[in-house]
Amino acid sequence: MILSFTDDYSFGLLIGFVCILIAFFAMMKETDDLHRLLLTDVIEIIALVIIALIGTDLAEALILPGLVVGIAEILALAEIYIEKEGLVKTPENFLKIEIMDTAPGILSAIMLIYGVILSGFTGGAVAGLGLLFYFLCRGSQKKTQILETISGYAWVCWVVAFIVFMTIPQYWFFAVMLAGTGIFAKVAAKMTIVGTMRGNRDV
Amino acid sequence: MYELENINIEGQVVTFIPFGDIVGYLTPYTAILFIFAAVFTIIALISKPEKQVDIAFGGDAYYTKNVSVKQMRFQRFMAAACGLATMGGVLSGDVFNFTLFTAMVGITNIGIVASIKNRHILDNAYEYGILAMVGTLPLFAGAAIIVATTGTLSMWILFTPLVTVPLVAKLLLVIGVLAEGMAPVYVAKAEITRAPGAPFILMVHVSSLVLFLRVIEIVISM
Repeated sequence: MILSFTDDYSFGLLIGFVCILIAFFAMMKETDDLHRLLLTDVIEIIALVIIALIGTDLAEALILPGLVVGIAEILALAEIYIEKEGLVKTPENFLKIEIMDTAPGILSAIMLIYGVILSGFTGGAVAGLGLLFYFLCRGSQKKTQILETISGYAWVCWVVAFIVFMTIPQYWFFAVMLAGTGIFAKVAAKMTIVGTMRGNRDV
Repeated sequence: MYELENINIEGQVVTFIPFGDIVGYLTPYTAILFIFAAVFTIIALISKPEKQVDIAFGGDAYYTKNVSVKQMRFQRFMAAACGLATMGGVLSGDVFNFTLFTAMVGITNIGIVASIKNRHILDNAYEYGILAMVGTLPLFAGAAIIVATTGTLSMWILFTPLVTVPLVAKLLLVIGVLAEGMAPVYVAKAEITRAPGAPFILMVHVSSLVLFLRVIEIVISM
């Protein structure tokens, strides 16, 4: 059976099995729980290597789910490890880095302008990220109200654009522009809200 | 339209579900496994968690263990996911899909066991999880060697007498399912059955039994 493999494949498989032996030996010797968790990741990677040895497009398609399964299992195990060792510690303040005091103004302005130039859905995402970055750095206590207002106006733009499309289709260009602006503001507002809900009282 | 050539073990196809070139199917044999898994999934969905009672030695006192709603919900979700993954594995007509469903059964089993916040049980769930993770190696290696030697993963082709699957691949597949579904049960059985939450723990046993019967059918038919 092994003989029916192509030469490269059986050679690769041989190396793979040697790696498996080494990994299992390490697994057998290790007693520390955390190190055993890391070693299972090594074994997981050898499994991916053996799939990769097929060397076709199919292998690529099989590696992805294999990788996902491995990551899911290691995340689950890491959670169990944290839980059983009682390693839970809430950080006192999130993300306290100096650059977050200096950069947000100019960086979010650039992203906002670039987003306006892009317009539409992509532009909304870019501008929204800029605003998100700004609010992330400067705190988001009272600024969510303005977003609600913008979001409301975006809806109005959109609905008006739709009515224009339906009733006076010869002004389609105006309607497209209006809808584009609407969706830009809408997506930007939505993107800005992402991650800001940390259980503040006004949320 | 789709017919199995080798019908000695499981009989002829009763129904099939084509997803493009991956065609899932049920034979009388797998249909029984499917119904079995489905019944236990429904039982896990509708039943209430068991509340254990511990008797204090040397007196009339006893205390009941409390199962919080949050824990019950999580366990119930995991049990349902486990049942669905088991049914998917039974239905699958593709070896790699079968291995993926098996791996998912392993993950959900870890979830069922690890939802109980007790040091001993978490210790055992951890051992269980490590074994299940190691089990993905023979599982995927088996599927990979099958596709490397035969060029296909479809059971419809692998079950024909024209294709011979190497014994190594078959063995790896069985070892993978053993490590993923069955062996962990025996690694941590005492602690698991002592944990509160009876109907959900049941899914661990059901899934491992059904998957084992299915992998034996696959390996013999190949």
